[in-house]
Parts: sequence; structure tokens; C-alpha cells
Amino acid sequence: MKKRAIALAMSAIMMTATMAACTSQETPPAAGAPTEAAPENNTGAEPTEAEVVEVAKADDSAVGNLIAATTDTVKLVVWASEEDQELTQDLINKFEAQYPEVKFDIQLGACSESTAKDNVLSDPTAAADVFAFADDQINDLVNAGALQEVAAAYTYDVSKENVAGSVAAATVNGKVYAYPMTADNGYFLYYNKSVFSEDDIKSLDKMVEVAGAADTQIGFELANAWYLFGFFSAQGTDLYARLAADGVTNECNWNEGVGVDIANAILGYVDTGVFVKAADDASAVSNMKDGKYAAIVNGTWSAAAISEALGDDYGAAKLPTFTAGDKEYQMSSFAGYKLIGVNPHSAYVGWSMLLAEYLTNEESQVARFEARGLGPANIKAASSETVKADPAIAAIAAQAEYATPQRIGGNFWDPAKSLGEILGNGNPDGTDVQTLLDNAVEGINAPVSAN
Amino acid sequence: MAKKRKQTEEVVKRDLLKEVGEGIKKYFTDFGTAVNKGDWGTRASLIVMGAGFIARKQFAKGILITLVQIMYFIVFAVYSVPYLTKFGTLGTVQMEQTFDPVTMQQTTNNYDNSFLILIHSMISLFLLVVFVMYYIHNMKAAYKVEKDAWAGRHVNNILEDIADMVGKKFYISLLTLPTIGIVLMNILPILVLVAIAFTNYDQNHMPPASLFTWVGFDNFKALISSGGMTITFGYAFRKVLGWTLVWAVLATFTNFIGGIVLAVLINSKGVKLKKMWRSLFVIAIAVPQFVTLILVRNFFRDDGIVNTLCANAGITDFFKSIGLLGANMNFIPFLTSKGWAKVMIVLINIWVGIPYQMLIATGVLMNAPQDQLESARIDGASHTQIFWKITVPYILVVQGPALITDFVRNINNFNVIYLLTQDVYTTTDQMLANSNAKEVDLLVTWLFRLTNEYYNYKMASVIGIIVFIICVLFTLVSYSKLMAGGREEDYQI
Amino acid sequence: MMDEKNTNTDELKEISELFPDTDKETEENNAQSAFAPAGAAPIKTAEPTNRKMTVAREAEHSLGMKKKGLIGSICKNTLLALLAAFWLIPILWLVVTAFSANPGISYTRFFPEKWTLANFSRVLFHPDSVLQYGRWFLNTLIIAIFSCAISTAFILMVSYAFSCMRFPGRQGMIRFSLILGMFPGVLSMIAVYFIMKSIGLTNSHIGMIVVYSAGSGLGYLIVKGFMDTIPVSMREAARIEGANELQIFFRVMMPLCKPIIVYQIISAFLAPWSDFVFARLMLNSGISKDWTVAIGLYNMLDKTLIHQNFAAFCAGGLIISIPISVLFIIMQKYYVEGVTSGSTKG
Repeated sequence: MKKRAIALAMSAIMMTATMAACTSQETPPAAGAPTEAAPENNTGAEPTEAEVVEVAKADDSAVGNLIAATTDTVKLVVWASEEDQELTQDLINKFEAQYPEVKFDIQLGACSESTAKDNVLSDPTAAADVFAFADDQINDLVNAGALQEVAAAYTYDVSKENVAGSVAAATVNGKVYAYPMTADNGYFLYYNKSVFSEDDIKSLDKMVEVAGAADTQIGFELANAWYLFGFFSAQGTDLYARLAADGVTNECNWNEGVGVDIANAILGYVDTGVFVKAADDASAVSNMKDGKYAAIVNGTWSAAAISEALGDDYGAAKLPTFTAGDKEYQMSSFAGYKLIGVNPHSAYVGWSMLLAEYLTNEESQVARFEARGLGPANIKAASSETVKADPAIAAIAAQAEYATPQRIGGNFWDPAKSLGEILGNGNPDGTDVQTLLDNAVEGINAPVSAN
Repeated sequence: MAKKRKQTEEVVKRDLLKEVGEGIKKYFTDFGTAVNKGDWGTRASLIVMGAGFIARKQFAKGILITLVQIMYFIVFAVYSVPYLTKFGTLGTVQMEQTFDPVTMQQTTNNYDNSFLILIHSMISLFLLVVFVMYYIHNMKAAYKVEKDAWAGRHVNNILEDIADMVGKKFYISLLTLPTIGIVLMNILPILVLVAIAFTNYDQNHMPPASLFTWVGFDNFKALISSGGMTITFGYAFRKVLGWTLVWAVLATFTNFIGGIVLAVLINSKGVKLKKMWRSLFVIAIAVPQFVTLILVRNFFRDDGIVNTLCANAGITDFFKSIGLLGANMNFIPFLTSKGWAKVMIVLINIWVGIPYQMLIATGVLMNAPQDQLESARIDGASHTQIFWKITVPYILVVQGPALITDFVRNINNFNVIYLLTQDVYTTTDQMLANSNAKEVDLLVTWLFRLTNEYYNYKMASVIGIIVFIICVLFTLVSYSKLMAGGREEDYQI
Repeated sequence: MMDEKNTNTDELKEISELFPDTDKETEENNAQSAFAPAGAAPIKTAEPTNRKMTVAREAEHSLGMKKKGLIGSICKNTLLALLAAFWLIPILWLVVTAFSANPGISYTRFFPEKWTLANFSRVLFHPDSVLQYGRWFLNTLIIAIFSCAISTAFILMVSYAFSCMRFPGRQGMIRFSLILGMFPGVLSMIAVYFIMKSIGLTNSHIGMIVVYSAGSGLGYLIVKGFMDTIPVSMREAARIEGANELQIFFRVMMPLCKPIIVYQIISAFLAPWSDFVFARLMLNSGISKDWTVAIGLYNMLDKTLIHQNFAAFCAGGLIISIPISVLFIIMQKYYVEGVTSGSTKG
């Protein structure tokens, strides 16, 4: 017991700022792909988290105790995303082989990481014993008592072997609640090299010019709060949208300062007819493949599809800069992680924890990268040459410098989405831009049900 | 005809009120009489329920009834009491789990689950009411047996009672199982949900990890006062309710009229291969609805195939030139802008609904009253006259009740709206967005998302109750207007 | 059988007489009866006057009207063809996409660039841990068969009790059940789930059967309406011969209710094939082999999967549509007969 996880000094933000709630349709397609290939510059992305909680290394005898105490068949259900099935099944088989003295009956179910929360919360006692989810759901899951605290590490050091940001993302109120699986749940720019040169993609203005000349378009999911964030919270704007100190409501000031300039800048880009609102991920990627779009903003989960379609013309880079009110800003982004959690209602919590550790250890993360191109959260796995050489992972690493960890309450998504829809349609009603921003901010900062 | 209907209607109304009032009164006075006037045997049934029958030497029946009573008492003590004692608070012991890192075992305390307490209390209360009703009924039955025995009338023994179950009282055998099913699937869930509207069951109070408790009428007040979970909740509620009603009217009547028109068209003279035409339309509904709706949603995407075709054919530009589309739109926002989406939803609903209505209308027309038509023809009425004076009123009379049920079904038409707009439609009304609603939402789809994505069960229950009340009021009013009551008797000559 | 057919077409003809033709065309029956399906011709002895009248009027008009009738006929057939095309285009898209070599959606082409049967073989013969169409089909079939049997039985029982028997509380129960049916089912789902869970029937096909059939007694309106049209005298006769209600139920009413029973069986059979909301909640283990077709197909189109699965989704949708279409076409007649005397006479 004395070896329980000890919370080291946590910044005040970390303590409270983890109430992220993300509705299923807002979360990026949780197919998952790589983020920080270079963990060193991770600190740039998360300036608020100086230190990270440490998970105590457990007594070596613990696993032996567990094996000795296990007499019946260990029945577990694991949820992994549809794309991850084959890989996860392999890993499960290997896990079972590690403990020949124990009888396992591990079933693999399909549940996308982006909707894990919905499926778990509808009845936590019936949910899988081990499940993968996107880090923005962690607060809701912890509040609902649907995540087992990672009280101790058994087979590898969860807090030290993974990049600091990923451990911070798995931490709520000073306790680690999940095992980092990938560090790539963010977004960046995909472009067609036959249209853009490496210089063109540095600025959105140039890109619009070039794409316009080439009679193609640039797709951006404006009506998706997750992506829209990149514009408003661009570097140097002093605009923010984040969780307030109460851990439930948001603070957002998009309607102040240069907010109007940015909204007008978006309207200006939309007005060119070259920079267009993409309907959703599927259509963005599909249009990219068809050549209708020459560039899109998307995440690593689309890397395979796009690189296959574009072949040698496949390019990925950090997000471009854009101009608003005569000033140039670097687009920001959300940085996210995928985690594996253990259900505290499991009948075999001990085995579930071991399995979760196995699914996220270095070897498994390397395998995940090799099979699906997902960026490892494991420091050693992420620093391998092959991982670093992957264009999508390199791009998300380059973007990491300008990314913000996703700590935002549930009221952010619908109002911001609506704002993006209006801007993406070119503000058809001609509403005053300041009013639009005021309304959106009012919704984003709205109090969360009191009673 | 009309006059007669009006009269019966009034009679029905008066009867209904009186019937219910008198029924309740009689129910209890009969019980009182039995207790007051019964002899020792009947009165002993107050304690041992079978006593009344045993006193009349109906041992088998008496013992059986007493066994039922004992069984209920056991159920009550073992099952109901533990839950009912916590019903007032809905539980007080929060869940606590501790994990021992050395043995790797988890221990959970004996916690209260508010939701289970609520459900099982409701079941217990329901059983209690049923038992009390049976208890009262038993007293009356015992008294009746006493009187029958005293008057020397024949008293059924248990074998005769069993024979009755396939004879005079066959309805009991018929209705028992279906009723149990309905209680389980409909009545209990409704009771539970009505109860939830008076609790604070939401994302911050989700069992099993946390408890929820009673809050009285707070949720209803929140809805009315616009205080709710967001500042715009009341606004969103009015907007969504408005569209729900407009939708229900549009969807019901377009399908109804469309179905008749199509049926008439197919059946009219000069149309060859009627069967083939009918089958062609039926094919469209043979694909399960959720498949077709998802399909159509992708068909009409902003960047979908229809838009591509329209752009190539110049239709998009044509719409621009006549002002149906904004100048900077390079696609038709079939399902993504307010006006277009509403029109498209109604049109797509016509697409999925008319084939059914066409089949029904065909049948209705087949059963049209031939005698009236003939006599009208003999009187030399023109076809137009016959159509408006006989056929139309006939259709309205027969189809009236179906129209009402369709209307109610459309108020609750989850599939069409959800499958066509989920993940596709983004609201541009920021006040709606602030309450997680959309312009195209019906009350049911809104409450589905409130529960499924925001876990706001308490407000969803409040909305559900309101939808229910609207439907019930509407139906009662329109049925009393449309139906003359006891129509089945007319047909069974 | 033959008799039924005759009345059917005969009646159809009469319907057309119910309506004025839009273009004011009057009868020209000679041309039509030549095309009308077999059995349309017999003249009912019951309506000689009508026949005479019609014939007389036909004679008056036929010459001048024949030409107009032809134009009208062409107009109507064209209109119907247009409407049918409108109705069938999305279905056609479903069919052609099911044969498309592109596994995702095409935004630019209606007909696929390359045709293939791969989607069908993938769906039918190459299950993976997520896509197990064969299992889903089997699961759904089993659930459908049992829930169909139970709910049909329940509905017949309730209908008979309400239509053919008179007992205290009957009117009250009818009214109450009407009101009960109006509660939004989406909302009571979560409570149903927990009730089922407390008796251990979630994630089980027995549970699904219970969910689909237990509450079915409420759906008695149509069948009761049909039974209402059967004359009391038929039952009285049996009663006089000494039959009890059970015997009347099976020997008298069931044979008479054949069309509505067929209708009821088919529509109860179809329900589990297209419900995904309830099924998704009840079968929430995430284990693909437990799913029904509807959950499986719905999950295939998860946003992230649509590139890979759209064509397979279409193939899967098409495969279930085939048996359903066949059932539907068989059912058409019963549907028309059953529904109309039922739904309309609540």
C-alpha cells in the first residue's frame, strides 16, 4: 500500500483543468495516428504542466500473488477500434501466451475510441474490462467512476516510459487513470506536392493563391469545433478556449481582442471559393483522393488512405500561417492522445491492468506503428528512426510546438460548431461578426446544469 | 348522419366521466359492504384470504388463494422492503472501491445504486397496488360466494372455474400473458421515467458511481423559466416543439394525400400493368428503412452525387440565378441548411411513406360503399360529384382514426429525422446550439441526444412527459370529434 | 383462391369508377378490359342496373372519347413512369454501388467505374472480427422467427379478447392501451434496458426476443379492426353447437382471419431487421458476433469507416432486401386486405 501512486506537485491547472468533455460527433475520427515523434519538444505544447505524476512500481511478488489467487477462467472483454482489431487480437494472443498457467477467455469487441465514452457511460457495469478511448473523454469517465486508477505499474514504468504530455493527459486530480497508447490525436496539413511547393504551404494566403490558379480547393472542416480552434487560438492572438477553474465550465474570449479580425479573415478566405468548408473527415479525405482538394487539414488516421491515393505527391506539414487584420498568425491545433483504460467494475481488475499494460508497452506501441502508422506515446518507440521518418508523424511533431492540450468542457462543442458553420457558409444572413462571436462565447461559457 | 354522430359523441363524453366516477365509488362501497355485512368466514378473509372460500367448503380454491397471499408476503419482505425503505432518499451509501496493488484485488463496498432502487421500488409499488386490488376483489368474491351459498345458488368449484377460463372468462386466459408483457415493457418503464423527471439524474449524478435524489418540480420549473441547464433551454424547447408540430402535420397530410393520389392514379382507367406499377413502388420500401435513409443521406450530401450531377447539369447555377442559393454557394445544401433541410426531410419522408399509404388507400377504395355509389349513379350524379360527395367523405371517415395515429407516430418519428440529420446537419441558430438542439430536431430526437450524448436524463424525462401529454390530449380531443364510439358494434351486425 | 382473385380485380375496377378522371375522360371499358388481368370481366349478378347504366353511358361517349382516352392513358403512364423512376433512383444507386469496385462512396459518379462482386463475397464469405454478416443474418433470423411467433400470438389473443368478448373493464382497457402506445419509446429504452438487465437478459438473444415481442399486445388495433368486421353470427352458430371460446378462437376465428394473420406475421418478422437503436443498447458488449444485421450495418458506416465500407454496406443492405422484397410482394394482397379493414376501423 505504501507504494501507491504519489502525486507529485501538480500545477493548479492540471488539478482542475481536466474536465474535458467531448461529444462523440465532435471527437476526431479516432482512428488514431502518430503525434510527437520528438518528445523533447513536447514541453512546448504543454507549458502549463511542468511536472507529471509518477506511478509507483509495484512489488515484484504482486503478479505472482495474482496468478496464485486465480483459479477460475479469466473472462475479459476488450474494446478496440474497428481498425485496430487484427493488431489487438495478436497482442491479446501474445499476452495469453505469457501466462501459460492461467486460463483466459478474452473477447475482443469493436468500439471506436471516439465513442468509447458514450458506450461506457450508458452502463459502466456492462462495459468492457479494458477499452481504448481518446483523452478528451477522461474527465467524464473518471467522474462516472468508469476508470480504474493506475495505482501501480507492474511490467513497465507507465509514467516514465511514455512522453510527459501523454501521462499528463491520463491524469485527473493528481492520479493517473489510464495507459497512454498513442500520441498522435491531433491535426496538421496534408497537401498535394504536384500543386504546392514546400514554400507555398507556409502561408495560407499563398496556398489559396496557388490552389486558385491550379483550379483546386483547400478543404477545412470549419463546422467542427475541434478544427476551428486552430484559427481562433492561433499563436500570438491571446485568444483562448479552455476549462475554467471549476473543472466544468469553460472560459473563452474569442469575442475579444483580435477575435473579430480572425472571424473576418475566415470569411475572407471562404469568400475566395478556394478555401472551403469540408463536410466531414470522410468527404475531406475522399475529395483529397479525387483531386478536388489540393490540401486538407486532418490527422494521422487518414495518412494511409491519402498517401496511397497521392503516391509521390503525398505531403504532410505543420499548419500554415494566415493573415488577419494585417498580422500574420501561426495556426494552432489541439494535441490529443489515445489511452487505454481499465473498468473498475471488472471482475478481474488485476488481470485487466496487466493486459492494459501489455497493450501499451513499448513492443506493442512499435507494433501499432508498424501495422497502422500510429504515433507511439512510448519515448523509445517514438524516437526510432523509422517513426521519425514518417511524414505524417513528422508533421504532427512539427505542429506540436503550436498545439494546445485539449482541456475543454462539453459546452464548447455545439456553439463553436455552429459558429464555424456560419462562417463556413460565408455568413449568409450578414449578421454582425461581433454578435456572432458574442453568441458563441455566451454558449461556450454557459453554466453547466446547477441542480 | 352528422347530427347523429354529434349526439353520440356527447353521450360518450358524459358517460365517460360518469362511468369512471361511479365505477370508483362502487368499487369501494362494494368492499365496505362485504366487510360490514359478511359473516365470520367472509370477514376472516381480511386476514387469511382463502378463509371465505374455505368456509364455503371450497378448500382447493381457498388454499390456493392463501398460498398466493403467503407468496406475496414473502416477496414483499424479501424483495420489496429493502428497496422501499430507501425509496425516500434513493440511497445514501456512495460507491467506494479500493485496489490493493500487492494482491491486485479490488474490493467494493456495499453501495446504493439510485437507479436500481428507483426501478425496483417502482416494481414493488406496482406489485403492491396489484395485490391490494386483488385483496379487495377477493373480499367481494368471498361475500358473493357467501350470499350465493345462502341463497342456495350454484357456486362454482375450482374445476368449473378452470373450465370458465376457456369459456365465459376466456378473456382472462387470453389477456394475462400479453398484459404481463406490456407491464414489463411499457408500464414499468413509463413509471420509472415519470419518476426520473422529479430527480436530479444527470451527468453529475450517474449511478453507480454517484447517487441521485428527489428534487420535486425543479426540472419542470427550469424548463418553463428558461433557467434549465442552459440559458436558452426554454427558447430551444419552444422552437423544437414548433417544428415538431409543423412536421407532424406536414408529414401526416402529405403522405395521406399523396398515397390516395397515387392509388387513384394507378387504379385509374388507361393505366396498364397496375400490378407492376404497384410493385415498383413497393420495392422502395422493401429495403429496410434505416438502410434507405442512410443511403439517401449520403446521396444528398453537400459534396455528394446529386450535387455533382446538379452542378454538371447547371441546376446549381440555375438556382443561384433565381436566388434560391446564395451567390457564393457552389453546391445545394440539401440537408445542411435550415430551409432546404426541412423541405428535403418532408420530401424524403414522402418518398419512404407514400408506398405504404398507397397500399392502404388502394384497400380503402376497394371497400368503398358500393350501394351508395350505385344509387348516386342512378340518380345521375357526375363523376366529380360522386368523388367529392361520397368518396372523399368516405375516405375521411374510414381513415380518420388512422390519421390520428399517424400524426402521433410522426410526432415521435425518430428514425427519419435522426438518420437524415445526425452528423450531417449543423445548426446556425446559436441560441439553439447553446442548448444542443437543432432546427430540424423533433422533441424525441432532441431528447435522445440529451440522454445519449449528454446524459441529461432528468430533462429528457421532462420533455418526454410533455410529448406524451401533447399526444394524449391531441388524441383524446380528435377521437371524440372523429369517432362516434362503439363503432365495432355497427360492423358486427 | 380463384374466387379471391376474381373479387380482387373486380373491385379494383370498381375503384376506378369511384373517381372522376382528371382529364374528364369517361368509361371506355372495351379497351381496358382487353388489357385487364384475367378475371376482370365477370359481371356480378348483384348489380345488373349498374352494368346497364355504365354500358349505356359508355355508348354515348365512347366515340368522341376514345382518342382523348388514349392521350390520357399515355399521360398517366408517363407520369407513373416518372414517379417510379424518382422512387427507384436511390434504390438503383444502392444496387450499382453494391457492385462497385471502389469500397467508399463516390461523389462524382453515379455508376461505378469498375464493377465487381467483391463486396458480396466480402460480406458473405470473408468475415473479420468486426464484419460478420453471416452471423448477424443468422442472429437476426432467429430473433425474428421467435419474436414474430410470440408477438403474433399475443396480438391475436388481445384482439380476440377485445373484439369478440364483452367483459367488465374492456372499454377502459382499450382506452388505456391507446394512451399507453403514445409514450415515446426512445425514452423508455433506458428503463427497459435496466429492467432486462436485472433479469439478466441483456446481451442475449432471448432478451432481444422479449424486447421485440413482450409489449406487442399493444399493437392489436389493426387485427381487432379486422375481427370486428367478422359477423357475430358466425361465432353464435358455433356457440349453439356447444363450442367453448377456446374452440371458437381456433376453429372459427383463426381460419377467417387468415389474411390479417399473414400480414401480422410478416410485419412482425420484419421489425428486428431494421431496428438499430434498441438493439444497440441491448447488445452492448461490443462483440460483433452477437449483433443483428441492423447494428452491424449501422456500425459499418461509422464516420471513420465509411471509406472502406460504403460499398459493402450497400451489398449488405441489398442482401437483406431480397428476402424482404419477396415477402412484401407476397404480402401485398394481404396487406391491402388486412390493413384496410383493420387500421381503418379501429
